[in-house]
Amino acid sequence: MGKIRKVASIVGGVQCGLGGLMSVFAYLIYISPSVRDSLAITSEEVYLYIFLSLVLSLFSILSGLLLVYEEDSES
Amino acid sequence: MGEKSLKRELGLLQALMMGIGGAICAGVFVTLGHAATLAGTALIIAMILCGIINLFTMLSYAELGASVPSAGGEYTFAKASLGGFLSFATGWFEWLSNMFYAAFSAVGFAYIISYVMPAINIPLTAVMTIIIFSLINIKGVKETGLAQTLLVLILLAILGIFIFWGFSTSQATGTLDLRAPEGFLGVFRASAFIFVIYLGGEAIAVAQAEIKDPGKTIPRAILLSCIALILIYTTITYVIFRIVPSESLVGQASPLAYVAEQFMGPLGVGMITVAGIIAALSSVNTSIMAHSRVAYALARDGYFPRAFFLLHGGYSTPVIAILIGSTFTAALAATGIVNFVAYATDFGFIIGFILVNLSLIKLRRDRPDLHRPFKVPLYPLTPILGIVTSLFLIFFLEPSTLLIGAELFILGIIAYYMRMVRYEKIRLAIGGMNLGISAFSAVIAYLTISNSIPMSEGIAQLSSAIAVFISITYLAAGLLNLARKYG
Repeated sequence: MGKIRKVASIVGGVQCGLGGLMSVFAYLIYISPSVRDSLAITSEEVYLYIFLSLVLSLFSILSGLLLVYEEDSES
Repeated sequence: MGEKSLKRELGLLQALMMGIGGAICAGVFVTLGHAATLAGTALIIAMILCGIINLFTMLSYAELGASVPSAGGEYTFAKASLGGFLSFATGWFEWLSNMFYAAFSAVGFAYIISYVMPAINIPLTAVMTIIIFSLINIKGVKETGLAQTLLVLILLAILGIFIFWGFSTSQATGTLDLRAPEGFLGVFRASAFIFVIYLGGEAIAVAQAEIKDPGKTIPRAILLSCIALILIYTTITYVIFRIVPSESLVGQASPLAYVAEQFMGPLGVGMITVAGIIAALSSVNTSIMAHSRVAYALARDGYFPRAFFLLHGGYSTPVIAILIGSTFTAALAATGIVNFVAYATDFGFIIGFILVNLSLIKLRRDRPDLHRPFKVPLYPLTPILGIVTSLFLIFFLEPSTLLIGAELFILGIIAYYMRMVRYEKIRLAIGGMNLGISAFSAVIAYLTISNSIPMSEGIAQLSSAIAVFISITYLAAGLLNLARKYG
């Protein structure tokens, strides 16, 4: 496995991990009033933050999988 | 292996019970309290209004279901008339909405059970319910239809007792003067809020590839279920306001059980609890059938992986579509986040209503020679009214519902392009988006480091570190994606 391939696999894995963490973050915003209070998120903004976190999460996982999958298929 | 292998085993009674059972969900037992605070005793008008709005679109379902009786319901109609992304979007919303609805109903069932047995584990009960009904659905459409018919007949018997007892009792303290505390606006808000209890009749269209003599049975079942629902809901509301004043329903967790207790005692509470359980189970059953048939149809046309199109060798049911959809549904039910995503159900179904009416108009124009065993009366006024009234309902939905709907729409676009657009273009787009997110994160990092965003020092340091990390990761991912394209 070449250096660029290795880097791409690592970056893809990290992106997938970030995507997963963003989903957890969205869930915490939804479920926990204390998290919302500590981040000063008002009740009107809750769904906006959840929406943005989930979109970013989905995108990260997709992008990460694309990098990891491509590296695996080439190796 | 293909659509011809689906067996036509559902008669008029089973199709009718599927329509009624799909609509009378656990929501009927809990939503009427809030609806009464919005519309007062004029909730009766809201009930009839919703029934008429539903009827406009159900007439379109009846014509299209009889003319294009293939699996997939709304999606198949949109595919035959609109094609392309719009037909995919219709199927996508229908698929997701039915899975959310199944998860919501399973959790609702578990909550109702927990009133009787407080020790039960709610997520586990919900997941077990989904597993059991998935197995029934895999076993065969005949078994699914039989289970549905039995559940709905028991449910209707209980509601019938509630209505007749309520009409004849002398323990009535309510008033039947039509009063709306918030005027017409309140009636419209209540209509948008309770419209969900009319959704379910389209389950007949989804199962249309398995209905005997579709040209006659589908229109009859759809129209009869519409009329039956208007009668059932309006008389239940009438009985409620005959027994208690509308103000007393405010804050009641289960308004129907509360009203039943007033004139039937503990027996009434027990009966309504059983009815709530049956309603939830019947919704789970119908929704599992619906989502699997939509996925099956989407796979038939190449939008979903081919595996969704596989039928069970012995039972002739789309076993992979049932298993994958039910796994997702069970996961939703187990996380408990289902209350949040359930809002999306309303949005998805109403969008589906608009697209079905558009499909009818388009198909009438493009294929006037198509054999139509049933025709919508007063065309084109009826489908246009269906579109206008559905748009009207969207206007009165909660803003959060619209936001969730937009999210589902974006997910649908991504899924469509992942399937239909060339791989190289997707990678290029993702590379560009990665660079955009990297730049955005870098700006956020700069703003937090320079104290331009008011926050405590500890949180500012943590936020800036996270933003820098995200910026570097996405920069690397973007460059790697673009390097592959041009390298």
